[in-house]
Amino acid sequence: MSLSLAFNTARSSLTATATQINASTRNVGSAGDPTASRKIAVTTTTATGGAYVIQISRASDTALYTRMISATSETARAEAMKGGLDQLENLVGGPTSTTSAAALLGKFTSALSDYRNSPEESSVGTALVTAAKNLTTAVNSAADSINTVRLDADEAISDSVTTINDLLKQFEAQNNAVIRGTYAGADITDALDKRDAILSKLSEEMGVSTVTRPGNDMVIYTDSGATLFETTARAVTFQPKSVYDGQTVGNSVYVDGVAVAGPDATMTLKSGRIAGLAELRDETTVTYQTQLDEMARALVDGFREVDPSGTLPDAQGLFTALNPNDPGISARLKVKAEVDPAQGGSPKLIRDGGINGASYVQNTGGGDSYSTWLDTLSARMSETRSFSPNGGIVTSATLADYSTSSVGWLSGQRQSWTTQVTSQSSLLTYASEALSNATGINLDDEYVYQLQLEKTYQASSKLISVVNSLYDTLLQIR
Amino acid sequence: MSLYGMLRTGVSGMNAQSNKLSTISDNIANSGTTGYKRASTEFSSLLLDSTGNQYNSGAVNTTIRYAVSTQGASNYTTSGTDLMIQGDGFFVVQDSSNQAYLTRAGSFTVDASTGNLVNAAGFTLMGYDISDGPASVILNSTEGMVPVNLATAKFSANPTTEGTFAANLPLGSSPSQAIADQKSSLTTYDNLGNAVTLDLTFSYAPGTDAVVGPPPVAAVPGTWTMNVSDRATGQSLVTQALTFDTSGNLSLADPTIDVPIPGGQTMSLDIGNMTNLNGGYTPINPTANGNAASLVKNVTIDKDGTVSAIDSKGQKIPLYQIPLATVPSPDNLDPRAGNVFLTTTDSGAIQMASANSGGAGYIQSGALENSTVDMATELTEMIVAQRDYTANSKVVQTGSELLDVLMNLKR
Repeated sequence: MSLSLAFNTARSSLTATATQINASTRNVGSAGDPTASRKIAVTTTTATGGAYVIQISRASDTALYTRMISATSETARAEAMKGGLDQLENLVGGPTSTTSAAALLGKFTSALSDYRNSPEESSVGTALVTAAKNLTTAVNSAADSINTVRLDADEAISDSVTTINDLLKQFEAQNNAVIRGTYAGADITDALDKRDAILSKLSEEMGVSTVTRPGNDMVIYTDSGATLFETTARAVTFQPKSVYDGQTVGNSVYVDGVAVAGPDATMTLKSGRIAGLAELRDETTVTYQTQLDEMARALVDGFREVDPSGTLPDAQGLFTALNPNDPGISARLKVKAEVDPAQGGSPKLIRDGGINGASYVQNTGGGDSYSTWLDTLSARMSETRSFSPNGGIVTSATLADYSTSSVGWLSGQRQSWTTQVTSQSSLLTYASEALSNATGINLDDEYVYQLQLEKTYQASSKLISVVNSLYDTLLQIR
Repeated sequence: MSLYGMLRTGVSGMNAQSNKLSTISDNIANSGTTGYKRASTEFSSLLLDSTGNQYNSGAVNTTIRYAVSTQGASNYTTSGTDLMIQGDGFFVVQDSSNQAYLTRAGSFTVDASTGNLVNAAGFTLMGYDISDGPASVILNSTEGMVPVNLATAKFSANPTTEGTFAANLPLGSSPSQAIADQKSSLTTYDNLGNAVTLDLTFSYAPGTDAVVGPPPVAAVPGTWTMNVSDRATGQSLVTQALTFDTSGNLSLADPTIDVPIPGGQTMSLDIGNMTNLNGGYTPINPTANGNAASLVKNVTIDKDGTVSAIDSKGQKIPLYQIPLATVPSPDNLDPRAGNVFLTTTDSGAIQMASANSGGAGYIQSGALENSTVDMATELTEMIVAQRDYTANSKVVQTGSELLDVLMNLKR
């Protein structure tokens, strides 16, 4: 059998080498695709000494891939938070802004002090009303900005949920292809690459963990354990809100019937864009809203009118708002029409009292230089107040300090998330680079490998020609 | 007698060599035939009684041997229904008159008219039908075997009967701390192949914390309960209290729970690997067998001879089991046209064996067994046979010439 066997061995070597060259060509062809992994034609020795390709496999590193996936999720979460906070700070103004509520509160305080010093000057009174109107406008627009940011986050969650459902559908198709190919012994490397690419896109939207079952069947859970994909794609649902005001509570995101993000979340997502957006929508912005509400509430309370005789209850003065104890008061804060010259009112009512009627008049003598009530108001502005702990900052401070603290809080949040984004994205870069080094396609390697294969091919064909000439010798014996 | 004896001996030698040349020509002709086993000739001398100083030349007897037990080299192909036996076994095939034969020629293709797997010589591959459960194998007979037919790969569904689920359940900082329900789902199939999504809900009933005292009160750990319910109706199927030992491993006498799937079978769900350690809720190893009804997309043949259909969902449905037959003396099998063999009294009766277990070898899909003929051996043998034939003819020629001399003695 020896000569025929040598023929057979050389032939099998040619076939195997051709398959290896084919795999290498595919590598070179997809060198530009970052999701493609290196394909390897695995050869083995046959019982009679030949070589044959048992399968096409691919370079993979599960540990590095898992790291890359989790870094992607963390980065996406930090970016969602940072994006929202950037937007919010742009809208409401940062620590250096002259149009922020805090800056305008300072201007209003000095206008009040001016009026206290020259109560007889009606133009100073008008200036005070203008400063008060500017302040209420700034507070109102800050409240609007929060609602805008929350609505944007809500829409982004909705978009993200749509993306997730699309990706899960695609994942199902690739996963089926992988399972079918695995059982049929076909080349599944391309389907595996595509499936991995879909999974890494999915990990941007929400943190995931995976389990691989027999037949390369993959099951995806959220990082909190809710089932995203198991044989079939599970439904991810979310009802977006069309309007956000100070009292709106956003809806939760449900994965397979379990709330994973939002107010009802029981298995809360730890990372991914949706986790960031939900935190932005339901926590950070709501905290900032509480701070604004506390400031508005302090303004309404600080300028309340008192009945000198003590019979009538205290009433809202310069600053007024409906339902001052409900959330969202900052959006409803306004200057009373009775003191606004533009609406036919008189700023003198601030000095004298009586915005709410004659019973509340403090300046009963009617003197033009009366400033006692203004002194009281001014003292109320600079007194230390207690604020709700839900504001997440100081609970006992003057209004001015509280507003400065609020500005600092927002800017601090933004800073901290900016740092998070920087560190997470550099982690992601490292993880991606490490993965790419381990599983990616290196053109230099491929060229060298192809040269080797070329030599093997030449040697095998040489072997065939040698055996052939041996046969020729045998046949020439007679 | 001696001169005539010499002529006859020469003729028998020529006959013997022509037999040898016949086997060589067969071998050379079939050097590319899949599963062909090389034939060889063995000679034995036939002596006549010699008395005293008288020698009676005898003759030569030819015996044809078939090297059936020699394994041919593998030749890898791209067809999944090309089969090769690595080992001593034989495929059982039958011809159109339902006569069973053994063969090692495994170049099977699906016959369009019948759907049977038929090899190049037209023999149909036989196997056991295992689509409805394991086959009953009669060890010394081909009874119960049916043609392996891929056209009947049914549009079928299998209900779920077995499954596993394991997860780590979170641990609170103290027994009294409330923990939200943890929930995962698992896809199973009912008798008609409908997907039934089961919700697995793990709920925690808080215990009480230890009190330092006095009087000291020991902590009462909280308890986890697992509830399996049908997603579609919300109906609870089974509830199981889970207890964990001090290492956080599940301590249940019987860690499998029976889940009656609505419209389907009772699934025995193994939850033995559940843990309760200080970590988040992490499901691991969720599996359930069974499959939805779908079309057959592909057919694979495993090492152990299981012919399975792969449906469009990637599920593997076993259809046939291809057994391997062995005989005590394969070289004594009776070869027939088409690289098939019949058992003889010399070869012994067949023994049926499963592939990849026992001594019958395994089945390799996508490969064929080359003929065991080596061209160089055959050519050298041919040269030798030709010389021997010529020498024998010289003997006859010499005998004839001597007879001529004898005839010329009398004029």
